[in-house]
Amino acid sequence: MALIFKIAWRNLLRHKGKSIIIGVILFLAAFIMTLGSGIISGMDRGLELNIVNGFLGDIVIISKKEKSDNILFKMYGESIETITKYKDAKKILQSQEYIKDFIPVGKNMAMVLNEDEGDPGFAMTLGVDFEAYRKFFPDSFTMVEGSYPGKNEQGVIIPMKAREDLYDFINAWFLPEKGDIVEKNLTADAKENLKDLNIKRTAVFMGMSEGNYTSDIRLGVKGIMKFRALNTMWGHFSIMDIESYRKCLGYFSASDLSLEVSGDKKELLAMDDSNLDSMFGKGEFFVRDRGSSDISGISFKSRKGRETVGDIDYEAGIYNLIFIKLKKGEALDRSVGRLNEVLSKTELDMRAITWKKASGAIGSMAVIIKGALFTFVIFLFFVAVIIIVNTLSMAAIERTSEIGMMRAVGARKGFISGMFIGETAILSGLFGGAGIVFGIAVVNIIPLLHITSANDLVQLLYGGDVFKPYLSAGDTLVAVVQLVIVTFVTVVYPVRVAMGITPLDAISRE
Amino acid sequence: MNIIEIRELKKNYPLGTTTVHALRGIDMNIIEGDFLSIVGPSGSGKTTLLNIIGCIDSASEGSVKIGGVEITSLNDIEVTDMRLNRIGFIFQTFNLIPVLNVVENVEFPLLLMKKFTKAEVRKRADKLIDEVGLTDHAHHRPAELSGGQRQRVAIARALVTNPDIVLADEPTANLDSVTGGQILELMKEMNRIEKTTFIFSTHDENVLRYARDILKIRDGVLVKE
Ligand SMILES: Nc1ncnc2c1ncn2[C@@H]1O[C@H](COP(=O)(O)OP(=O)(O)O)[C@@H](O)[C@H]1O
Ligand SMILES: [Mg+2]
Repeated sequence: MALIFKIAWRNLLRHKGKSIIIGVILFLAAFIMTLGSGIISGMDRGLELNIVNGFLGDIVIISKKEKSDNILFKMYGESIETITKYKDAKKILQSQEYIKDFIPVGKNMAMVLNEDEGDPGFAMTLGVDFEAYRKFFPDSFTMVEGSYPGKNEQGVIIPMKAREDLYDFINAWFLPEKGDIVEKNLTADAKENLKDLNIKRTAVFMGMSEGNYTSDIRLGVKGIMKFRALNTMWGHFSIMDIESYRKCLGYFSASDLSLEVSGDKKELLAMDDSNLDSMFGKGEFFVRDRGSSDISGISFKSRKGRETVGDIDYEAGIYNLIFIKLKKGEALDRSVGRLNEVLSKTELDMRAITWKKASGAIGSMAVIIKGALFTFVIFLFFVAVIIIVNTLSMAAIERTSEIGMMRAVGARKGFISGMFIGETAILSGLFGGAGIVFGIAVVNIIPLLHITSANDLVQLLYGGDVFKPYLSAGDTLVAVVQLVIVTFVTVVYPVRVAMGITPLDAISRE
Repeated sequence: MNIIEIRELKKNYPLGTTTVHALRGIDMNIIEGDFLSIVGPSGSGKTTLLNIIGCIDSASEGSVKIGGVEITSLNDIEVTDMRLNRIGFIFQTFNLIPVLNVVENVEFPLLLMKKFTKAEVRKRADKLIDEVGLTDHAHHRPAELSGGQRQRVAIARALVTNPDIVLADEPTANLDSVTGGQILELMKEMNRIEKTTFIFSTHDENVLRYARDILKIRDGVLVKE
């Protein structure tokens, strides 16, 4: 062995040019493979972290009526089916030992009406129990203006992104009820028009559903928020209290229900007659307000949401989704399977899907980006292999006399192949190893540079707003294994050429 | 005692549609410790004969025994080990591994044998390098040596394993006559010291005076004196 490596090492030094060519290729291949896998892992990890911890949880429960799993960004105007028996679902979810926590939410599109004149703006809305939501996603967003609403408070918080979009659409700059303009949060355009800025501290939302049985509701703006990551995506979602959300979407709200139970006729009568008609007439579980489909003709005698609601059983009302977080270490697909099995045995009209399915568009974009990166790496792999195989085979043929003489003197075929494998192994160990180490270094340095992007597509590649490639111990091992595989794949053919050289080949050249 | 016994040895090379009969039936015995020259004009079959004896080429027909071992039916590993343990080679050119220095080249076959300790290997190599007069150049690479010096290293390397026979196919063909004479003198001296059988081929009648025994070959058959 020592002899083989001595000869292999000196041969490398003797043929410096070739060694350097092969070495550099191995270095680049190892580096790019390592970096690529770091980017892919970072993207996976970032997306998982930012989607799971930032917006969806691990598992999402949707209505069985929902046609597509992709509920995060649906086609324009398509509404999300409702979940009606949350209380029953809650009992089941609580009894699943792999589930850590869960939260029911409403989620749909809404229009933000233009109170001056012109077309309305649009916003995606979430209806939540503010207190529970903050607890469920503790670090996913920060309040940049105003403050987060308290328990049972009614109102809306608008993300910076949505505020900017609304400013473009309806030319209103939303500010919290209590709070002044924060200049650094203004867009360039808003800054220019600072004097004439059309400031609004309330917003009129009108839910959108296919039936358009929705109604408008005026909500106080409690605060302006910013999502920690993927703000360009999550930033489309304005978050309002669930009761206002239900009213906005025309769902039969929990307070309606409790009033109905308590028989508070006064409140009941405050509802539109048509409401009652449909409520009793159609016998549906929830009621949709009949909204006007003619947007421009809307009058703004909007009913104002109560600032706070009393002891209302929120959970009796209608939701669209339930976000679920798993306990640490629970396998995602297995848990979804188990949960669906449990759900299928009940009367509940619900099914569970993974965050990956729920985030459909993002997930498939991620797969495409991954695929492109992967293809690129494989392509590189082949180019590297071909160049190295070629160079090594030529080297074998050029050294026919030397190899034949060694065979004549008594070296077995194994010695010759060992010599070639040794040469390639030394090169891949040194240069490829350096490539991996360099790749690891770069992967670890990039997050420190804090490279950010506001571009949606680039954010997908980053898995968040910051470019954070990541290599697990497993990824590093895979990189080493890839390098070993490349080494052996490249050496097979040249070794066969070298082993085929006989002493006679050496002599007949004389 | 016969170290080599050859019977009815034939070698045919297919060449396109015809066949070249390089050896047409060789019968010979070579005594242990001989210093034998095989002489004949170019194309007479000297190289072919030496290659077959050296287990580098295969016979088409007949039998070749080295030290009583029939070599015509051995597999690749057996043939390789035969070359390693029983045969030493001195080629016309390209004898040495370019990346190894003189001592390392001489040690090379001994290390392949994996029978000796490092110290034993070094001792034996040093002894032979001394005998071929290259002690001062022990750490030079082949590229730093003259043609004659390289052949000396080849001789040391061929003898280092204590082989039954040393084969040299026109060992002086690439050397000037003075150096060639010195090499043959050295071979003869080594034959005396180490008692190893030497067989060398030549087409140069001048070289014959160094030989103890001479075999003449013409058109693939031995010719009587
Ligand atoms: N590989 C080969 N293929 C075909 N013919 C060969 C081959 N090697 C040698 N010969 C032929 O065999 C004969 C003997 O060659 P060789 O043993 O090299 O002679 P010498 O060494 O005496 O010059 C020659 O006619 C030569 O052309
Ligand atoms: Mg010849």
